[in-house]
Amino acid sequence: MSSLTTSAARAAHARPRPWRAVRLSPYLFIAPFFVVFAAFGAYPLIYALQLSFTRWRGAGEAHWVGLDNYLYLLTSPDFWASLANSAVMWLLIVPIQLVAGLGGAVLLANARLRLRGLFRVAFIAPFVTPLVAMAQVWIVVFDRDYGAVNYLLNLVGLPDVGWLTSTAWSKPTLALLFLWKTTGFAIIILLAGLQAVPGGVYEAASLDGASRWRQFWSITLPLVRRSMAFLVVVQTLAVFQMFAEPFVVTEGGPYGSTTTAGLYLYEHITASDLGTGAANSFLLVLLVFGLSLVSVRLLRPKDGTS
Amino acid sequence: MNQTRPGPVQYAVLTVLAIAFLYPIWWAVSSSFKPAAEIITSPLSLGGPTLDNYRAMLADVPIGTGFANTALVLAVKGAMTMFFCPLAGYAFAKYAFPGKNLLFGVVLLTLMLPTLVLIIPLLLEMSALGWVNTYQALILPGSIDAFSIFWMRQTIAAIPDELIDAGRVDGAGEFAIFARVVLPVIRPGLAALAVLTTMNVYNDVVWPVVAVNDTEHQTLQVVLATLAQNITGNRIGADFATVWGELLAAGSLALLPLLAIFVLLQRHFINGILAGSVKG
Repeated sequence: MSSLTTSAARAAHARPRPWRAVRLSPYLFIAPFFVVFAAFGAYPLIYALQLSFTRWRGAGEAHWVGLDNYLYLLTSPDFWASLANSAVMWLLIVPIQLVAGLGGAVLLANARLRLRGLFRVAFIAPFVTPLVAMAQVWIVVFDRDYGAVNYLLNLVGLPDVGWLTSTAWSKPTLALLFLWKTTGFAIIILLAGLQAVPGGVYEAASLDGASRWRQFWSITLPLVRRSMAFLVVVQTLAVFQMFAEPFVVTEGGPYGSTTTAGLYLYEHITASDLGTGAANSFLLVLLVFGLSLVSVRLLRPKDGTS
Repeated sequence: MNQTRPGPVQYAVLTVLAIAFLYPIWWAVSSSFKPAAEIITSPLSLGGPTLDNYRAMLADVPIGTGFANTALVLAVKGAMTMFFCPLAGYAFAKYAFPGKNLLFGVVLLTLMLPTLVLIIPLLLEMSALGWVNTYQALILPGSIDAFSIFWMRQTIAAIPDELIDAGRVDGAGEFAIFARVVLPVIRPGLAALAVLTTMNVYNDVVWPVVAVNDTEHQTLQVVLATLAQNITGNRIGADFATVWGELLAAGSLALLPLLAIFVLLQRHFINGILAGSVKG
């Protein structure tokens, strides 16, 4: 802030000309964002809030129903099941991605690793692929009868697994799609955190006789904490909004086992139950918002540096 | 980092993982050159190679339209992002003005908004405006996004104030300072923004699928989603062999441009992602 005010003061000093230009231009520069946001963000948001208190099926009169939609959802087993499905997905994805991503980042940060560029490309490539096409590939690779995964299992004498057709395996298989697609992203974020660690710190630690594990726990981990917190927030948002993966691969089945919070929300749209859909959206926003705050709080460094 | 030489175990783990990560992509591309009937029934064989799937796809699927529409949306939406986001970022980084903190707070708050929440009301808004199946519906929502503004503000804040004041002393107007002083300095950041915006717009699927239901305005991802919908419901079966062949051919064509951009512009791409983890 101080640099801003001094710069403004200096600027005022230097130029006796158009005061109004300096005063008005920042507002003009940010105006386009606010125009677009008002039209396609704030307006639909307020509209959705209003909609969430009505019963409306996409046509005809909307009836004011007060909190009915919210009460309906909060007492609906399907709503809670969708949250539970997303929570299980979160457990299957976020901890594994943090550990695997950190392991991958530590290996890839090593300058003495040969073929480093090649490995990096391999891990990040899935992140740039179109999700719809790759979700379709998942259906085939994990097909019970023809898929490559069961073929490999059979080779080593294990029986077929109904990856996408059994309620036990459907979630892990979808979680794997998500992990496959986004772990490269996690690796990049964590790599950045690791590369900020000065090499000298490790040398000093080695001289002091600290073991590799001890170095990892007391140097590496605290320094990537911010990157990890960022990842947890971003991926929590993504997992609770997860939609395209179950939509394409399992359509929420078998027996609703992959009906995630995002997909359940979408089902209100296809059922033209727009009031309930809007109420569901807001419950999801509150949940996601709360979860993000909690994860930021939990992963905040204890010494209080931002 | 710890500069110990990696041992055979590390190489073995990395190699197995790298193969597992690349396998689905390789499977999609290689299967697109197999006879359609073999894609599902013997997914591990290497039949062919044949271009039949590509021929069938070009005949049945409006992939040309998809590419053209994606290119158009990308060009306009990309241009808007590349112009308006640095401009707003500049205002937030280098000006002191009443209400600045409040307005920037609003920008940050919109970052937290899950996109799914807006889908229903946005669709209703589009139909009220008569914008369903139009380019403006594909382009305008999200065309000036909060994340890019936040990121550009961080980038521009690093420019020394002296540079900007020097422009003022020379008598340059406020916009001229932005165009002639700020933009050239942040060129690497702009390159990363361009790559990341390209990826986001190119792979965007949920909103385009909702906003468009005619052939004329389908983007590439909508074309793929439509093909995928032809398969779901009766996934594995000989009748669907052709559709599978077409989907994999279209999917392979769709993933190529981005994969090429990624391999060629790795540095900018990674910078683009990293910018997201930079906190103010």
